[in-house]
Amino acid sequence: MNEREKQRMTCEEFEIAGLDLRGATRNGAQDAEAWEHLRGCGRCAALHENWRLLQDDLHAIGAESRDTEISGRVELRLRQEFRTQHKTVKIRRAAVITSWGLAAAALLVVAVTWTTWRHTNGSGSGKGSPIVVRAGQRVAPEVTNTATDQSGGTDETLLASNDSEEFTLLPGDVPGTLEDGTVVQVRMQRGSLGAFGLAVNEERAADWIQVDLLVGEDGQPQAVRLPQSNSN
Amino acid sequence: MIDPILKDDVLLRKSARGDEEAFVQLYRRHQAPLFRFALRMTGNRWAAEEVVQDVFMTLMRDPKKFDVERGTLGGYLYGIARNRIMKHQERLPRELPLDPEVEEGNAPLAGLSDEKTPAQWVELKQRREMVRDAVMQLPVEFREAVVLCELEELSYEEAAAALECPIGTIRSRLHRGRALLLAKLEILRDVPKRVSAGR
Repeated sequence: MNEREKQRMTCEEFEIAGLDLRGATRNGAQDAEAWEHLRGCGRCAALHENWRLLQDDLHAIGAESRDTEISGRVELRLRQEFRTQHKTVKIRRAAVITSWGLAAAALLVVAVTWTTWRHTNGSGSGKGSPIVVRAGQRVAPEVTNTATDQSGGTDETLLASNDSEEFTLLPGDVPGTLEDGTVVQVRMQRGSLGAFGLAVNEERAADWIQVDLLVGEDGQPQAVRLPQSNSN
Repeated sequence: MIDPILKDDVLLRKSARGDEEAFVQLYRRHQAPLFRFALRMTGNRWAAEEVVQDVFMTLMRDPKKFDVERGTLGGYLYGIARNRIMKHQERLPRELPLDPEVEEGNAPLAGLSDEKTPAQWVELKQRREMVRDAVMQLPVEFREAVVLCELEELSYEEAAAALECPIGTIRSRLHRGRALLLAKLEILRDVPKRVSAGR
């Protein structure tokens, strides 16, 4: 086998590369070899001719359906779907924005309410106007060791509330005139409360207690409050 | 009005932002080859329309899945179409002809000249039907290569881009598809068997 024969295309190689031959060469050297093989091999020439006929049929089939167009309904359906989808997205986006807005507004209201309540609460327990109740108007049920008349309990009995927030008006004072009073904290014997016209449990009259006195502009005590620490 | 020379990725971005005309332009740009591919792969016009519709629905619903760095939009759409065609073929048996119009005799036969006698006309028609059937019976990967390179007459490069595979793969699949076609059609009856037609 000479060098030239060694380089010639085999039938296997022709089957892979040679079937594309359509007269005009596309891949210079390889096509030249294929043509050369074709001229010398009857079997591959027959194969090539058969393939060429089949390829003509394939191209003809391709050409028959080349002008086939998709139905216009598909485009309409896609347009409709596109609108629906983007409308839905817009609605969803609006809903999300609205929800967040409402949530933020609710949070703001809660924050403002809480701040207001806290401010009110803080000022109530501090320097604000003391809460004054009229003696005898109410008695806290848990009051057993304050300056209450344990044996009394009638509406006519003067009782000092042990609610640390409320002052009890002393007899003779007019409610509603004490907003400008000053709170004075004093330590005194429980029996001294009798001097203000309050009923005192005699058995505990010698106890020392802490008393808040609300002193009016005239320097006279007008209401009294027994802080919780005295309850125990 | 959308600029007709806008690139696919630009149109896709516009479409994702809700520009209907951009989406329609993308559809019009790519639907025809996809439809023909689907039609030739399924042999069913209705199924081919469904495939194309599914492809563009997918693009519409999840446009971010397309990555311009990884290939062309055409290739991406072909990829979706191939998946849909596979699913379609898993669901349905092949029942309908490649082109119903041709089957019904409503479409002219390409290459048919007036010089042919009725007998030749019938012979040609029968042969093409056999060829169509043989194409439809090819395994999917070989059929894809034959459809794109022989029916659509795309170059190897174009077919490789459409199927997102190397050119060598296209060559190899096409070679085996051709061999299978020749074997199925028994054109090689009088030629000593050399073509490796089996998978």
